Amino acid sequence: MNFEKYIKEVSDSNVSSLNENIFLEKLHSERRRRDSNKLRLFNGLSAGVCVLLFSFITFSQLADDPIVYVSNDLKSLESMDIETETYVYELADYLVETSDDIWETLAFLDEINFETVIINENGGLE
Amino acid sequence: MKSDKELIKEFQGGNEEAFNQLVKRHLPDTYGFFIKFTSDTVEAEDLAQDVFIKMYKALKKFRFESEFKTYLFRANINMSNSYLRRNKWRNLLHLDQAPEPAYLDTSQEDEWRRKELWDAISKLPKKQRMVVSMRIAKEMPYKEIALAMGINVNSAKVSYHHAIKTLKDLINK
Repeated sequence: MNFEKYIKEVSDSNVSSLNENIFLEKLHSERRRRDSNKLRLFNGLSAGVCVLLFSFITFSQLADDPIVYVSNDLKSLESMDIETETYVYELADYLVETSDDIWETLAFLDEINFETVIINENGGLE
Repeated sequence: MKSDKELIKEFQGGNEEAFNQLVKRHLPDTYGFFIKFTSDTVEAEDLAQDVFIKMYKALKKFRFESEFKTYLFRANINMSNSYLRRNKWRNLLHLDQAPEPAYLDTSQEDEWRRKELWDAISKLPKKQRMVVSMRIAKEMPYKEIALAMGINVNSAKVSYHHAIKTLKDLINK
């Protein structure tokens, strides 16, 4: 038997008719279901991205060098405002004047890097 | 009666009913095509549904560069290729569950032979598979096959010839 004829015979099958209206109903409900799934996925992803972005921003803010906060009162005088500068000078004067042990006070001022300023501004401690 | 082009334009203009009319017009061909592939009404209906869902999205941007019928047929072929690929894996995974042909009655034997044929078709190279599918499932002339695949008529004939030779070897093995 001719092989082409054979495959045509084999592939022939009775095509039962399909109810068009039911098919259309199923088609549109499936289409809507897929669209809503896609929308849900998109919303989920957007929310995820927002959370990640917010977390990153928060983290980057918190991750600022903590030494800045800790050493705020030990900042060099050049970067202080006038009011703070005056206060620090007064404090240094007070410490020197009221000190029982001048060397201990000097050692303390040296520890907070105050020596240069004292020398520069007051011509040194005599 | 409105042409496919008119219906598509109406659909693009927001008329959903035009799409429904288009589906009703092309459903018998599409469903019949998938029935021949799958021999299973449920699977054929699912495949037809998938194709028309894709069409729903694609038609909104359809630019009428080809006939809708050709466009739909290409979509059917692509869908059947995916089905054959899926089926190939399914057959590989369920080989031990395939019934022995010797124990089958006549109707089951027909079913078995059909399955054997489509399994063999799934093993063909893509171009041959597409040509032979169109010839067998739709009995399309070479000219239309060539148009749908974007190849020339002689190339379609050669692919069909090679496909038949390979199928003969596979089935008579």
